[in-house]
Amino acid sequence: MFGLVYNELLKITGRWRSYIGFIGIAVTMPFVLWGFSYGGDKINEDYISQIGDSFIVTGSVFNAFLVTYILMNALWIHIPFLITLAAGDAVAAEGAAGTFRITLTRSVSRIKILMAKLLATWIYTAALILFIAFLSLGVGSIWLGMGDLVVVDKGILIFDQSEAMIRMALSFTLAILIMWVVASLCFMFSSMVDNGIGPIIGSMFLIVIGYIVIAIPLDLFDKLEPFIFVTYFNVWLHAFKEPIPWGLIAKSLGVLTLYTAGFIGVSIAVFLKRDIKT
Amino acid sequence: MTLALQAINLSKRFKKLKAVDNLNLEVPVGAVYGFLGPNGSGKSTTIRMMTDLIRPDSGEIIIDGLSVQKLHNKALINVGSFTERADFYKHLSAESNLKMLARMDGIQFSRIDEVLNRVKLAHRSTDKIKNYSQGMRQRLGIAQALLSNPKLLILDEPTNGLDPQGMKEVRELIGELSSEGITIFLSTHLLDEVQKICSHVGIIHHGKLVSAGSIHDLLKTSDLFVTEIRLSSIDNAVEILKKQPWIHRLEIKDDSIMVNVHSEKLPDLTELLVHNGCKVEAIIPRTSLEDLFLSKIHD
Repeated sequence: MFGLVYNELLKITGRWRSYIGFIGIAVTMPFVLWGFSYGGDKINEDYISQIGDSFIVTGSVFNAFLVTYILMNALWIHIPFLITLAAGDAVAAEGAAGTFRITLTRSVSRIKILMAKLLATWIYTAALILFIAFLSLGVGSIWLGMGDLVVVDKGILIFDQSEAMIRMALSFTLAILIMWVVASLCFMFSSMVDNGIGPIIGSMFLIVIGYIVIAIPLDLFDKLEPFIFVTYFNVWLHAFKEPIPWGLIAKSLGVLTLYTAGFIGVSIAVFLKRDIKT
Repeated sequence: MTLALQAINLSKRFKKLKAVDNLNLEVPVGAVYGFLGPNGSGKSTTIRMMTDLIRPDSGEIIIDGLSVQKLHNKALINVGSFTERADFYKHLSAESNLKMLARMDGIQFSRIDEVLNRVKLAHRSTDKIKNYSQGMRQRLGIAQALLSNPKLLILDEPTNGLDPQGMKEVRELIGELSSEGITIFLSTHLLDEVQKICSHVGIIHHGKLVSAGSIHDLLKTSDLFVTEIRLSSIDNAVEILKKQPWIHRLEIKDDSIMVNVHSEKLPDLTELLVHNGCKVEAIIPRTSLEDLFLSKIHD
């Protein structure tokens, strides 16, 4: 299995689309960090004005933790698109290129090949999220420094540096798990077609529809919300609550796991029956 | 007769089109089996079912006694295949592509050099596939099929895109592999090629196997046994032969007469000409696989 996953990782790294996400993040993050570093006074003042009544603030609340927290909030809707760029090609690209004729004719079962592709897609997804973490926390700490993390949500939460690091680790872990759902959804579509664009469009369409349903305050939509996987995409935010709502996290992850299992199940069912005609 | 490959009641339908219709086929161990058929006859669909790329609606493929459809991994363990075009991961070198496949087959990388040498691509092993010519890709396609030391080689149009020299080399390679005991199932449009290298042949038309067996036997028993008659003077002979109802076709070619007769009638043909005072120089069987093929698909 290790050899098969390694093969799939080689294929992913050979596709130019796989680099779009990394390039996009590599360009965006330093730019955003530079923006926060030189033009973030207004946000800093807003933060201080909100907590200034209760605390005496010396210096800036701006540091790598806060910037990462703000960035994750801002980028969260866009990251799925970057994930689908690679996941869409995972199976479909082989159909388009005709390379299934040299892989599926070997004495390796289709299910094993499919699982190797899925694992490689998940590894790619995790790598992309960790790359964001590296740039925002790693490079950010050099640029903006570290310190306490101040989160203003339904109150004010201040995490000291070591606690902030633990919360960040938890939130990025949850982020990876959430993006695996996106990757699995796109992978499912990819196993059905011979063109990598369709799965990207299909996945983004479902995710956007999900966000629309959540955003519109209609009774009908409110009833649908618990059944829409996008509803649980904000689970990473729970890492910054006190106390950490483990029950909510477990429930969200449970639902997302069910969806992931469903997506994988459909992928397997489709791929095992699929005739390779290309 | 031990069978390397067997198709049992194989059928496949694509929407309204019945691509393969209750096909039964037997390939003996050690044979070089030519699989012939016009475009759209169901050849590629059959080959894809043999390699489990396409699932049959009914029937099954048995390789070395194991059902491909039920026991994919075990049935295909000693099979190398090359289906239609040689498509690889173009951004990778030939060596990297074969390494990927070697990992799947669970074989040593040292085997890669052997197969690349065999198809004369060792000197270009580190070149990316996107820089390969069509002919080189075809040869690499054969190399990947040989990677797992197969006992059965399934080749679908392996000489596509090759120049005459390349075709000759592939023909020779098939001969070599056959002499090493590998059973070869070969689909091609080149009937001349099949006649040169195959021991057995199967002809498929409209998804049905219309003829199958050893080439020698098929040509011998054909109703359209083409015979070339060489005479010192052909005029008299033509007149005599034209009157015979068992002569199906008569054609004058240079100084010879080409006739189609059933093989059982060959002694009568000789006797007829001699009794009528024709000076027969030679009677030479000239039935080609092409004749057989065309007769079967036009029935």
